[in-house]
Amino acid sequence: MSSHIFEIGAEGIDTERIVEEIQSTVAEKMQQGHYTDARVARAERTNLSNLKDEEEFLSFYLECLRDTIFVDISDFDIVERRQRFSSLLVTLKRIIWKLLKFYTYRLWSQQNQVNGLLLSAVEGSDNRSRERITALEKRVAELEAKLKASSES
Amino acid sequence: MAAISIAFICPRFPDGPTVGGAETMLKTQAGYAASHELDVTFLATCARNHFTWENEIEPGHREIDGLNVHFFPVNESRDVDTFSHIQERISRGRTITREEEDLWVRHSVNSDALCEHLSRAIADYDRVVIGPYLFGLCLNAAKIAPDKTVLVPCLHDEPFADLAVVRECFDHSRSMMFNSHAERQLATRRFGKRYEDMPVIGMGIKPFETDPRAFARSRNLDSPYLLYCGRREPLKGTPLLLDYVDAFRARTQRDLKLVLTGTGPIEPSSALRPHLIDLGFVSEAQKHEVMAGALAFCHPSVNESFGIVALEAWLAGTPLLAHASGDVLRELCRISNGGLWFKTYGQFEETVIGLMDHPEFRNQLGAAGRRYVMDNHQPAQVAARMVEALRQ
Repeated sequence: MSSHIFEIGAEGIDTERIVEEIQSTVAEKMQQGHYTDARVARAERTNLSNLKDEEEFLSFYLECLRDTIFVDISDFDIVERRQRFSSLLVTLKRIIWKLLKFYTYRLWSQQNQVNGLLLSAVEGSDNRSRERITALEKRVAELEAKLKASSES
Repeated sequence: MAAISIAFICPRFPDGPTVGGAETMLKTQAGYAASHELDVTFLATCARNHFTWENEIEPGHREIDGLNVHFFPVNESRDVDTFSHIQERISRGRTITREEEDLWVRHSVNSDALCEHLSRAIADYDRVVIGPYLFGLCLNAAKIAPDKTVLVPCLHDEPFADLAVVRECFDHSRSMMFNSHAERQLATRRFGKRYEDMPVIGMGIKPFETDPRAFARSRNLDSPYLLYCGRREPLKGTPLLLDYVDAFRARTQRDLKLVLTGTGPIEPSSALRPHLIDLGFVSEAQKHEVMAGALAFCHPSVNESFGIVALEAWLAGTPLLAHASGDVLRELCRISNGGLWFKTYGQFEETVIGLMDHPEFRNQLGAAGRRYVMDNHQPAQVAARMVEALRQ
């Protein structure tokens, strides 16, 4: 965040200007993927109803979902902070993880499938609505133009 | 000038643990009228609890805080399931029939005893001030003498305002007393030009001084905190506030606390729970202390027609942080330069970091808010505006 936004000018504070600057800073950061993590997606779930008419927000929310929808079941680095019995503990943890993965793989892979299908359905429905609205807007504009032309003649 | 007689009607009378913005507003406005030597009677139900609507107060007449108050029982015959079912459909923006609207009104909070009393005594009153609109009681009471009815609608941009019964109530009433210019604009947009010149009254706030360090000292609190005061429920945006603070702590690793006062259930995550201070119901003096020490007063509701607590926070020298989709609070922030607004989590995060890192800026915002309240919401100014509106 640029700290100049919160500097107080000679003419005092202009909150409208400050909010505009915050909004543009955040928009830039959003483009860089700064807010598309699972915590933000969770935090924004109750904001959906407030911003239901804002197309941009829905696109952003879908992007958050896209980035967070799959449960990560790939292997990861297993480490141990304690120095004593370090290699033993790491081996034990690896065994536990392999067992867990073996027994829960079916569950998580099915969950990921469901999540992916749901997201595709929502995205598909969103795209269809957008296309339909665009076509309707175009049609309304054509009809308005025709009406204007006939009333002028 | 001839004295006029006024009945104020509100589903609940705010006293002790009964809190609520609209109720406090109506009571305060009744107090203004009484202080201008108008003959004032306050009619309310025996309910205290906004969720259960149980009859807890003894019916009858009492003098409270200089007001002549009559309590009447809430109808116990209401079918809450039918009401909730229709209410849910309306909230979701579904179209309902006129019969369903009537059922929704019938099974909303009503008091036949209050309406019968009003019908009998209507000749004694020159004006009947009723609010807020979203209760069967208010919609039914407004039908008794529409030519004398002045509505304090507390209108929000919500599907309930689209109902035919609501539209009729607005159109048939003698006049309105709006709480803010943004609310009046909303009514004009929804219901037509008739409303564009109707008075904006709102409520005056008595200035107070308080120690901004008192709350932190009493709790040994070193960290900054955001504050919300009022009812805790989804319509007020409290789940959003909890989620945002939770995400803010996790993402920024900054030790921001959240302090809540008021009533209603909350469901913080296990990570947020140790950093949430739930004070419940507090006295006015305690509330002012907590307000003065807050980093900001956060009002995430998008359905406010006024914002008493926001004005109180400004008087305490604390800036307001409002949701951009809430027209009234956003406009107040803009006009006063006493607060900022956010639309998404990202904007919330950047704004809170800015306030934490720039205490001088935070103080200037709070001071601008205080100036605005002192210039526009002195009780004497508001009372004069209201009495003039009632005499018209």
